[in-house]
Amino acid sequence: MFKLEQYKILTASLVTVAALSVAQADETVAYNGLWNAKKDISGGVYYPIKDGQTGPYKVNSQVYKDSDAVNNESGVKVGYNNGRIPTDNELKAWDKDINGLNEGLPEGSGYVDEGEALYEAQCMMCHGDFGSGGGGYPALSAGKAKEIKRTLTNNRWLNPTAEGPSRVFGSYWPVASTMWWYIRDAMPHTKSKTLTDDETYALTAYMLYINGMKVDGELVTPSFKLDREKFMKIEMPNRNGFVPDIDGPNGLENVRTYYANPDNYGAYRLKKGEEPCMKNCQQTDNIARVDGGITDFEPPMSVARDLPPKKEDAAHKVSFDAKAAYEASCTMCHATGVAPAAGDKTGWAPFMEKAYEKVLKNGLEGTNMGMPAKGGSSLSDDEFKQVVDYMLKF
Amino acid sequence: MDKVNTKKSSEVTNLEISSKGLSRRDFFKKTGAVSAVAAASVIAPTVVKAEDDHAIMHHPKWGQSWGDPVTKNKYGIPSKYEHNVTRRYTQLLASGNARASIAVAPIHESDGIITPNGLFFSRSHGGTAHVDPNEFRLMINGLVEKPIVLTLDQIKQYPRVTRTHFIECPANGGQEWRQPQYNSLQFAKGFMSCAEWTGVYIKTILKDLGLKPEALWMLAEGSDNSEMGRSLPIDKVLDDAMLVWGQNGEALRPEQGYPLRLLVPGWEGNLCVKWLKRLEFGKEPWYAKEETSKYTALKPTGKAAQHFYANEVNSTVVIPSCEKPWTNIKDGDWVEIEGLAWSGMGTVTRVDLSFDGGNNYVEANIKGLVLPKCWTRWSYMHQYKKGEKLLLTSRATDDAGFVQPTVDQEVFGYGVKKADYGKDKNKGMGVESVYHRNAVETWEVNEKGEVNHVQIRTV
Repeated sequence: MFKLEQYKILTASLVTVAALSVAQADETVAYNGLWNAKKDISGGVYYPIKDGQTGPYKVNSQVYKDSDAVNNESGVKVGYNNGRIPTDNELKAWDKDINGLNEGLPEGSGYVDEGEALYEAQCMMCHGDFGSGGGGYPALSAGKAKEIKRTLTNNRWLNPTAEGPSRVFGSYWPVASTMWWYIRDAMPHTKSKTLTDDETYALTAYMLYINGMKVDGELVTPSFKLDREKFMKIEMPNRNGFVPDIDGPNGLENVRTYYANPDNYGAYRLKKGEEPCMKNCQQTDNIARVDGGITDFEPPMSVARDLPPKKEDAAHKVSFDAKAAYEASCTMCHATGVAPAAGDKTGWAPFMEKAYEKVLKNGLEGTNMGMPAKGGSSLSDDEFKQVVDYMLKF
Repeated sequence: MDKVNTKKSSEVTNLEISSKGLSRRDFFKKTGAVSAVAAASVIAPTVVKAEDDHAIMHHPKWGQSWGDPVTKNKYGIPSKYEHNVTRRYTQLLASGNARASIAVAPIHESDGIITPNGLFFSRSHGGTAHVDPNEFRLMINGLVEKPIVLTLDQIKQYPRVTRTHFIECPANGGQEWRQPQYNSLQFAKGFMSCAEWTGVYIKTILKDLGLKPEALWMLAEGSDNSEMGRSLPIDKVLDDAMLVWGQNGEALRPEQGYPLRLLVPGWEGNLCVKWLKRLEFGKEPWYAKEETSKYTALKPTGKAAQHFYANEVNSTVVIPSCEKPWTNIKDGDWVEIEGLAWSGMGTVTRVDLSFDGGNNYVEANIKGLVLPKCWTRWSYMHQYKKGEKLLLTSRATDDAGFVQPTVDQEVFGYGVKKADYGKDKNKGMGVESVYHRNAVETWEVNEKGEVNHVQIRTV
């Protein structure tokens, strides 16, 4: 199936750049030769296959021949005939990505207020009110996107206690398709891939709303309806905030050029023949120390070679600590007002009307009102029941 | 034949007896303790003196009774005494209820250049998936002449390659742009591990599909809860990117993407998509969540470097460490200062070591295998003076010619005078980029031999 010509066309654009760099730096292929090696797209060394070897590794010469990116050769000798062609339905089931040009975005629509209701039921317990974040979960908004975007030039390099940049959806993300795609495939975190396309539109609309964003010049309000056509016109304030420019037919060349220049990423490449500094390189008495720092290591740090502390044998466990499990896995919603807390008889009353069995079943299997199956924990059914019993002890 | 065997076996028995007898006689002659009575666990002579080491002077229980039968632990596990050698985590990095999170490798306990599979650092964006290999499928589609679906067995039918590479999270050290945060080697540098991987070059599989000339990018997508995705330039796909199923001679662990992950040698660990499900070839990059909202390096200009692939040249001292200091080293002892160096942009060619925090350096000795995009061990012998204060700083250079920057050089830019720090926003990476911090690390040995993590800065 494979044709060499394809590589030639494919990498034709790269030849120019590669050839250029060869000319500029007088570089030859060399393994372990300082200042002397061919570069790959990341600015690193490219190790071609040569004489049955790539770098220090031998390769099977029945399978691989000499490779050279400059000459568009990957070094693969022969093809195989493994696998099968996917069916149309299989492709439809898995080929669901959406790229930065919104290619792949399906039809559908949703209102901001629908999104808000979904958000409050299924997202808020982690992402906070209006996407404010908290508890280690990412914030989704920090105010009006355009204003927040200005914080991206904040840098605490001279003043460690100054205000840093705020990288949320509205202020930082270059395209909106990322949000739609991620919500549909990865959210809610405890039971991903359960939202419909319309629900995904509604949630994305709500994201635009809480970030104070515009679509086609129009400020998104609670009654705003987002559909595919309007999606194409979302204005991302930080669309041009990223370098190098990766879009279009020159994308890869731009990447190569960018990373060929160490100044672009805080790096230094020794000149040919230059030694790293060995004497009087940096004279300073300024020693920055850990000040407080992070010490909550789990398990606590120890290098002792002793016997582990005696633990209950899991196979003969007589008691399971339902209270500890509740505190570890349930309180982020059940003790924060999102859902009734343990022992809150009044709070649980409306649920208990449906009978204990129903409450337990909902807990075990999850609900579409935000309760993840088993609270997102990895408890056994029996252990989970003990937690439910603990919570319902009034 | 039988006779010969019998004879041989009896000879062996006789030899054992006679050698036992000999050593016994010899022992009695030397000690003169003819009437010594051996108690159950005490080795004669029975009068144990204070200077005698108890560990030598008694029979340990493991030497006087049956050990485990070979039928126990059909898959071996470490000694119970090694229970503190584990991955560790912290609340700071536990977002997503420890599902979108990381557990870091105990590199202060590492030997050589291979991380055992159970200690390999573990990062996921939606929890560790447990994929049924029988239901595993890899779909490859997009700009190819023939899209295909492969089972795991079919993937393993391609000619395989084995390579030793590190995988490093580009946020390794990323909490320490403004100041050191961890008095711990495990947390300061343990967002990485190194293993021997077995799999197939993607370019080998592409022979079966026929890549279309306009294909410039590859999307790799995981089957996990987060459907983790990243775009990869075609250059890397046609160079050394692999699909791997084997890690250190066995199947990938679930934490490493069982049964199949992408391995992108030297580049951001995040690109090495686990629990792989699909590869798609396209004209444009995808703008997946982990290449926009995260894994982009914000610079002082307010622009962020994206598609910042390679983990740059880096190194650290491993012995001594905050966890395993020199508090018990005696005055005048020779100690081997040992460390790791690595570069995702090539092969480590040189490591220098400073005792004064990076003002003056000596060249250290590289040890063992020196492989591209792989951990490399180095060391330097030092005669320890009790009470001395040291600032141990290591600095690696790779065969692309890159050398590790000082903290100030990385933050404020090369060749920028101290008086001009922070004036030109086009110079340096600033302190907000989170990712790709590779400035030199410094470990302070204080007068007690304790080790602290510090940074040497001029401002």
